[in-house]
Formats: sequence, C-alpha cells, structure tokens
Amino acid sequence: MAVHGSVTVVSALRSRYEQRTERVTRLRQVQSELVSLAGLIGRPVLDQSGGRLGRVVDVVVRWDDDRSYPPVTGVVVRVGRRRAWLPIEAVDEFRRDLIRLHTARVDLREFSQRHGEAELAREVVDHQLVDIDGARVVRASDLYLARLAGLVQLVGVDVGFGSILRRLGPARFRTRPTPEKVVDWASIASFGSQHRPGGTLQASATGLQRLRPGELADLLEDLGRTERRELLAALPPERAADALEEMQHEELVRLLREFQTADAARLLGRMEPDEAADGLRELGTDERATLMAAMPTAARERVATLLGYGGRTAGGVMTTLLMVAVPTETVARVRERLREHREHDEDLAGVVVVDDEGRLVDDLTMTELFLADPQTTVDELIGPPWPVTVTPDARPEQIGRRLVESRHWSVVVVDDEQRPVGRILPDDVLDVLLPDHARFHFPRRLR
Amino acid sequence: MTDLDEHAPAVPPRRRSLRRRMVLLLAFMGPGIIAANAGNDAGGIATYASAGALYGYRTLFAMVLVTVALVVVQEMCARLGAYTGQGLGALIREQFSIRVTAVALLALVVANVGLVVSEFAGIAAALELLHVSRYLSIPVAAIAIWALVVFGTYKYAERLFLILSLVFFAYPISAALSHPDLAQAGAQLIYPHFLLTQDFLLLVVALIGTTITPYMQFYVAAAVADRGIGPADYPKEKLDTVAGSIFCNVISIFIIIATAAAIKIRAPLESAKQAAQALTPVAGRFATQLFAIGLLGASALAAAIVPLSTAYAISEAAGAERSVSKSFRQAPLFLGLFTGQVFVGAAIALIPGNLITLLVRAQVLNGLITPILLTYVLVLANRRGLLGSAANGRAFRITATISVTAVGLLSAIVLAQFVLGIFGIG
Repeated sequence: MAVHGSVTVVSALRSRYEQRTERVTRLRQVQSELVSLAGLIGRPVLDQSGGRLGRVVDVVVRWDDDRSYPPVTGVVVRVGRRRAWLPIEAVDEFRRDLIRLHTARVDLREFSQRHGEAELAREVVDHQLVDIDGARVVRASDLYLARLAGLVQLVGVDVGFGSILRRLGPARFRTRPTPEKVVDWASIASFGSQHRPGGTLQASATGLQRLRPGELADLLEDLGRTERRELLAALPPERAADALEEMQHEELVRLLREFQTADAARLLGRMEPDEAADGLRELGTDERATLMAAMPTAARERVATLLGYGGRTAGGVMTTLLMVAVPTETVARVRERLREHREHDEDLAGVVVVDDEGRLVDDLTMTELFLADPQTTVDELIGPPWPVTVTPDARPEQIGRRLVESRHWSVVVVDDEQRPVGRILPDDVLDVLLPDHARFHFPRRLR
Repeated sequence: MTDLDEHAPAVPPRRRSLRRRMVLLLAFMGPGIIAANAGNDAGGIATYASAGALYGYRTLFAMVLVTVALVVVQEMCARLGAYTGQGLGALIREQFSIRVTAVALLALVVANVGLVVSEFAGIAAALELLHVSRYLSIPVAAIAIWALVVFGTYKYAERLFLILSLVFFAYPISAALSHPDLAQAGAQLIYPHFLLTQDFLLLVVALIGTTITPYMQFYVAAAVADRGIGPADYPKEKLDTVAGSIFCNVISIFIIIATAAAIKIRAPLESAKQAAQALTPVAGRFATQLFAIGLLGASALAAAIVPLSTAYAISEAAGAERSVSKSFRQAPLFLGLFTGQVFVGAAIALIPGNLITLLVRAQVLNGLITPILLTYVLVLANRRGLLGSAANGRAFRITATISVTAVGLLSAIVLAQFVLGIFGIG
C-alpha cells in the first residue's frame, strides 16, 4: 500500500513539473524576445518615420478567462501633459527599448480605464500575486511581455530580487530582462485593483482546484486584506471552509473579524464544528455571540456544545460529527448513509453502534464495514477490538497515550452514561500537542 | 454529581491558570499601548534619564510637544493599518516607485540597526550593574537571542523578558515618593521653554527618536492590520492608540521627573548606576538591582523584536518568504537580515566607550531618520485614492504637516550643526 502511495505521489509531482517545463516562458525563443515591463516604462514611442511622439507610461492588458496569457490591448503614452491611449493595433514594433507605430498619424484619445482591463505598471507590478503551482504568495518585481502567435501577451512574472536591483539601477540597464526567477503567467492568479471595486480574481478555476486546503490556508495568511477577500470569494464555499479549518487560530480570528457578520457566520457554519469552535473560542464574548446568532441553527448548536468544554480537553478538540448505527441495521444501509455524508469523510473514522438507551456498544472501523457482507446486520460485527473511549475532560496527553496504546485510528468521547458525544482523530490531538512555532508575525510577538 | 446533571454532558469548570490570565491582561492592552510602550526600551530609559539628569525638568515642555506629534503619527499609522489591512512595508512598495521605496526601507534598516546596537548596549549596561563584563555579556546575549528565535523557543523567553520589563512601571511611584519640585515641574510642563544650545537640541532629537521611533510606526500599522481591525472597529482602536501614546509618554515624563529629583548635580550621566538612583525611593538599596532587571528585560525583548520587525518589513516589501520556522535556504532574505542585524548590532555595541552615551547616540540617529519615514506616513495618510473618506481631513492634515515639519526642521538643524562641526565651524 505504502509503496503504491508514494509512487502515485512521485508521478503526480513529475507530471506537475513537466507541465511547468513546457510552459511558454521556458521556451528559448520566447526568452530571447521577452520585453521587461519595468524597462519599457519611460521609453520613447516613435511614429513611422522615427519622430518622437511621447514616452511609455503604462501597458494595458485585458483579463481574459479563456486565455492563459492576457493580451496587451494598448499602451498609455505621456504626450506633453496628457496621458494618451494608444491601441495595440497601431503598434508596429514592440521592442525592449522603444515602441514604433505603423503610421505617422494617430488619433490620440485621453486614456480612461475600461472594465476588465488592468494597467500593469500601476496595478500589477509591486503588488501581490498568487503562484498557484508553487502555492505561495509572491510580489511582482517585474513583468515580461512577449509576442506569441502575433499577439503581444503578458507571459511571465519575475519574483527575483535581482530584478528589484535592476530597477533600482540606471535606466539604460533596465531594459535587459533578468529572468532568473520567473513564474509563468499561466499559473498566476492576480487580483482586481482597489481602484476598481468589484474587480475580481483573475485565475483559472482549474488552477485554484489544484491547491490543497492547507496550501490555500497558507496563501490566505500571506495575502493582504482585499486580496484575501477576493481569493475567498472565488472559491466554492466548501473549499473555502476547508481552507479555513487549516488556518492558525489567530489567523482565523483575524479573518472572521474582517468579514461581514453574515459572511463570517456562513463560513463558520460550513466548517467542521470543532475547528469553528476553536476559532470562536479566541474571539471576545460579544463578537462570539453576534457571530453565533447569525449561524445556521444546527451548526450553532453543535458549536455551542463544544464551546462548553475547555479548549485543551477532549471535549474541546473532538468533533461532534458522529455516524451512529443501531445493531439491527444492515451493513448495506450503514454504507448508504455513509455515502450521503461523503463531505465529512475526513472526520468519519468509524461508525459508533449504540443500544436502545443510546449507550456505546462498539465502534466499527471503516475496514470492518468494508469487508463485511452487505446483507449482514450490524450486531454481527460487534466484538473485539472494543472501542477506546475517553471522557470529555480528558487531557490531550492522556488521549494521545490511549491512541498509541490501542493502535486505534480514533477514540470515542463518551459522557458519564457511556453515551457517545464525539470523536477525536489523531490530528486533533497533534494539533494541541505540537508546539506551534509557525509563521512569524511580529505584531503578535508582544502579546 | 447530582441528578440534574445526569442527562447533560459533563461540563468542566473553565479553569484559568495564572499564566493565561496574564496573557489575557496583556492582550487587553491594545496595539497602541504596546507599541508606544516599546518606546520605553533601553534607549528610551537612557535618554529620559539623561534628560532628567542633565536638564532637570527643562525638557518637559518638549516632551509635551513630542506627545502631540506621537499621537498624530500613531493615529495615522493605526488608521492606515485598519483601512488597508496592510503593513507599512507593503503599502510603501505598492504606493511609491521602487526607488522611493528603497530609500524608505534603507532608512528603516539604518534606524533599526541603531536600535539593535542600543538594545545590546542596554543588556551590557544592565549586566555590568550585576558585575558581568560586557565583553562576555554581549556575545553571549547575541548568540542566545539569535538561537532562541531561529530554533523557535523564543516565545517563552519573550514572556519572561516582558514581565521583567514591567519593572519600569515603578518609575511613577518613585517619582511620587522622591518629593519632586512639583511647582517647577508643572511650570516646565506648560511653559514653552527651549534652550538653543547644541547639546539641548541633540537631546531633544534623541527624545523624538526614542519616542516616535520608525520601528513603532511599522509596528502599529502591522499590529492593527494583523488583528483584523477594520474600518468598523476603528473608532475603538483610535481611542486605544491615542490613549496608549499619551499613557506611555506620561511614564516617560515620570522617568524624567524621578531622575531629575534623584540626581541633584546637573551633568551628563556617567553610568547606568547613576540612572538607577532614580529608583531608590521605591527600592532603597536594591535600586541598582531592580533597575538592572528592568533594563535587561526591556533590552533583551527589543533586541529580538527590532531585528525581526525590520526583517519582516523588508521581506514584506520584497514579497519574500518571512517566517522564522523556515530554513535559510527557504527564507534567505528574512533570516539573513535578522542574523545580520543581531550580529552587526552586537559588534558595534562591543566597541569600548560609555554605554549610556552610545544608547543616547543611537536615539539621535533614530531621531534624524524619523522625519524621513514620517513623510511617507503623512503622504500615505493624505491619499484619498488609498484611504477614501478616511484620508486626512484638512485640519488634521495641517496639524500633521506641522508636526512632521517641526521634527524634520529640528533634525536638519542638528544634522547641520554636526556637519559644520566636522569642518570646525559652529
């Protein structure tokens, strides 16, 4: 099993890597034709006969969901005191050090931004972007443009320190690209600008799909506030909730505070109750009450139960999502119900069997259910190994020890009457036991 | 267990350990208070004590003006953090050209390296009071702090340092017990008073440098953004920031008063032992030890925080990985900057000389650089494109501009005097 697993991982990584190497910025002929945006800014715009018209202020691209590389739609040119608009159709030569036009005569209109377009120098360079393949937040030090299939397109983003130094240096060295750390634009998600409210995240939906919840959580922690909102808004709600579950508690609290109460409550409602409770526990009493009042009733009740326990006890770390079966049910029926709860599969390590009084009889593992004949009834499966249980006030160290001793995948939390109230998975225990020296956020250091 | 409880899940009473309550208490203090209190570090104590020793109550009026400027500046930084949700490093990178950004970040690095030097000088001064040579204490402290941060066990040391530094809250009590000349102190507080000597101006610049530290501006913006404080919560945060700034300068003023009352001969401070006399009314013959403990805590705390915050701001602006849990290969810029500052700072602090003078000089350096970064803050807070309706209004803009200009003018005069001094003029 283990061998198979690692082989799959390796081949997945390899295909991801190969995908990257085929990307356009790796192509040799494209590299030789890369135009550095930072180098182009301030360069002359010449008419057909070589007469100087003005200088480049910015390059405008159109965000296009169907394309990996946004096409350039025009150039903003400073002519005298005006910011004039020059459509790309009028451009003959798009070089590193100058732009030459087809004609001697151009109709120069005042520049005004259109919907779905972005000014690269003002809105994208020096701003945050998400490198989806690398699952990290980057800041663009430079952008590279290239002519592909007759169109000038935005093909890559430079995230290297070398390009920052190049931009600091004298103007004549600035035009030469220094592509030592370039990310292909096809794997980049970029954000709408603050100047255009409602500007949306520019990323292929499939790209975002590739990210694991943990990676998304890291990205959310690194992004600025507006960018974070956009990324969350672009995710399907259940993926957003998954990502939130993976976040550091302090980060989750910050995020909940930033959101409108209704949005925050909706996200909380979709999260696993134990993770939602962890986040809520860090909030002030008033804030917590407001948020909980706005949550869906069922989710609120589950979370409220958990909040009743201390944060570092079994009750505080357990999940209340339990799949309960009675001895008379058939295995087929139980499996069917499991299928209905697919979205919680990470939290369902087993199915608890209870008697008429609601007391715990056994804890069936997924393997037991998988191997059993569908027509057998649950009571035939009851038997050793008997479930490992703890009480809600058990300390994480105790739970960890129980898990290790019994070699079980999970422990069931039962109340004084032996009724199951929740389940604890190894990650819940590890979460509390591992020292969290995660990212450094210096403002938090003094708390 | 009673019958009533039988059907309810057992809910254990929520226990709160002393440690937890302590953390809660500190958390209750908002970023504004914490940031402003960071001003009362080694350099701050040395500068305020020097002011008290050398000029008695005469710097108090200057402190009032500094307080006004501090309130204005901290409020702008907190507002930038709340409305944009970003730290100053990122804001400057996004809002200014790359060269202008580089100037700001370079200024921050220089100012903060100065601060790191003063923190290590503070550690050395504190341990010299406890009879440990600085040639031993500084290298050991530098390696210890570096290792604590890089290997991720700093959190616990930090709490200890923070608690140690609370010693300085003894100053107001000490000031009250030392029977200061209240009439004179009160008069100097209200009555506009400036001495136009070079030394006095230098000290005022040091007071500005240690109170309106560039480091604190970056801190408060980042702290506000980091807590998820948004426009809706801002009025409360504003109150916290303003109150925090005033509160901390009141403490500073008490340090000046306590020292002025304890030291009768108006001369520059010779040693930390002299400065420690100001705590005699509270601690009697243990004043030196008490002072040493407080100074050690405050210095050690800031000796890690200041280089970390510089590395954080620069990495934030550069868009590089910023995390202490990453390896050098993963976060070369962040960890490189941190390491460089700690060891360069410690090396400079090792240069033989008077530690108190070194401490005050580092604050002068900060005071000279402060107006540069204040200009950035002012420009950002004026920008309607960035803050919308929360941008500085007219009256505020005038007040803020006057504050920044005054600080800048003072720095320019001191700098001019210094340059002229090199050429033997003035």
